[in-house]
Amino acid sequence: MNTQTMLELARGPIFYGALLFFIAGMLYRLVTVISLGWNKDLAKPRGDKATGVVKSFLRGGIIFPFFPREKAAYARNPIVYIAGGLFHLSLFIVVILGAAHMLVWKSLIGFGWPTLPLPIVDWMAAVGIIAMVALIVNRMVHPVMKLLTGVAEVLNWLFVFLPMITGYMMTHHMFLPYENLFVLHMMSINVLLVWIPLSRISHFMFYFFSRTIHGVEWGKRNAMP
Amino acid sequence: MPDETIYQSMKNKGVSRRDFLKLSGLFAMALGFTKAPPFEESGLPTSLEFSPKVAEPIVRAMETKPRLPVIWLEFQDCTGCSEALTRSNSPTLSSLVLNTLTIEYHETLSAAAGFQVEEAKQQAMKKYAGQYILVVEGSIPVGEEALYCVIGGRTGEEILKEAAAGAAAIIAVGNCSSFGGLPKAKPNPTNAKGVWEIITDKPIINISGCPAIPEAITGVIAHYALFGTLPELDGLHRPKTFYGVTVHDRCLRRPFYEAGKFALSFDDEGAKKGYCLYKLGCKGPTTYNSCATIKWDAGLSFPIQSGHPCLGCSEPNFWDGGGFYQGQSAPLERPEVTAVGAAVAAGVVLGAGMAVANSNQKKAAEALKGGSK
Ligand code: SF4
Repeated sequence: MNTQTMLELARGPIFYGALLFFIAGMLYRLVTVISLGWNKDLAKPRGDKATGVVKSFLRGGIIFPFFPREKAAYARNPIVYIAGGLFHLSLFIVVILGAAHMLVWKSLIGFGWPTLPLPIVDWMAAVGIIAMVALIVNRMVHPVMKLLTGVAEVLNWLFVFLPMITGYMMTHHMFLPYENLFVLHMMSINVLLVWIPLSRISHFMFYFFSRTIHGVEWGKRNAMP
Repeated sequence: MPDETIYQSMKNKGVSRRDFLKLSGLFAMALGFTKAPPFEESGLPTSLEFSPKVAEPIVRAMETKPRLPVIWLEFQDCTGCSEALTRSNSPTLSSLVLNTLTIEYHETLSAAAGFQVEEAKQQAMKKYAGQYILVVEGSIPVGEEALYCVIGGRTGEEILKEAAAGAAAIIAVGNCSSFGGLPKAKPNPTNAKGVWEIITDKPIINISGCPAIPEAITGVIAHYALFGTLPELDGLHRPKTFYGVTVHDRCLRRPFYEAGKFALSFDDEGAKKGYCLYKLGCKGPTTYNSCATIKWDAGLSFPIQSGHPCLGCSEPNFWDGGGFYQGQSAPLERPEVTAVGAAVAAGVVLGAGMAVANSNQKKAAEALKGGSK
């Protein structure tokens, strides 16, 4: 089988299958989580639940340690804080604002948007990769993180890291011909798509649920000024 | 007569020594010589440093090598590669190949027709058995579908196998004969194949492209004529001299690619300014060919220069490699609405089923707890 055929498979039927699995898997997770239900209020809420939700999301957006409230979280593990933040920023810029990725979205959802110049996207990708390396090293040496790290956590890291590193190698024509790296990049994406619903990477969806639930609880108790 | 040397035959045709030397220089350039590979059997120096004397081995080879018989077969093709060759931007090169190297048989160019030309081909194959170069243009339908291409009452498959048996080497010219090309596009109604899928016991060079770049065709034939060896090939059997780097690597719009400046339609401001065509579906990044350097029509232009994205015509299955105007990074197929619907439904149903099971389990557990109190 030559590279072109492999590339056709990776960009065609395998991607197709992985994407459908991803959609079905995420829906499955969503339904099971929603069906857990919502506790009835046994007493009259002390505050406004909606305000709680708004505040919860606002607080989610304040991620900078110069806000006093965030300082503690930052101080507890600055590496996780900074590298984690940069990783998510990098992911957003590369996956949404990179020209090649925008074309993927365009082909799937039917419309595109302006993208950033390659050098900016490229630097952000490098930042993301370095952040990922910092995170795994931290996981391996931090006494508490070490205890919390099992096979699933390592796989989470690996399956996210592979598309990043292969994508970076691809833009820079490193080690292997472009098409071979394209195959590897697509295959790592396909693996990731299947893995997401099975793993905690699905937090990109559940994040919004947990923020909402926390907001509601805070609102009920009027625990958040 | 292939027995006289290339130089002799040119001299007989009235080519002056001066023109002959010029032509040798042209060859050296076309073949990308700065260093000659070790051509032991040719008795030439195994390597040479870059110098004005770089044409010397070519001169010596042409003076000593006999002419090379060429048999040119056409199957499921559009004759575009032959057309391109006859309109080559280096007329001296193509005339050398077409006239001097003795094309013994060519479906389109042969003056004779019908059984006479078939007869001539049979004779040539017998006379030069084991010596001739077989050039193939067009894909070949095989098996039961072989009947889709019949010439002189015989299937293309049969004709190819017969001619291949006595060939010293086979040069597949164009994407069709290399990788199946347009005829092989899904659903491949004629069961078309490239030469290398059918013939496995001969050296095969693929000069893919739609059409193949004439300089690549002549360059490879000349290389074999002069040195008796095949040039260095890549994994897809393409000569590295011409297919060593991608179109994207040598593209004149590349700086715009790097700067993120793209044409978004064929007539927008970006297109007028010559911005990169990536977002219009350019396949340059995965396409190995020398369009961007040799170009077409005497180096005048090539598709990307004229404002059209690269279609990737020198790569296998380029017809099925995603929409021509769809960005290359985009997946080949977009899931059908029904497939997405089915996936959503499957997820919801499984999720709901799981939810019911969970709640039943919970109730049972509670009932048990209540009962044991
Ligand atoms: S036009 Fe095509 S080959 Fe040229 S730089 Fe853009 S993507 Fe690359």
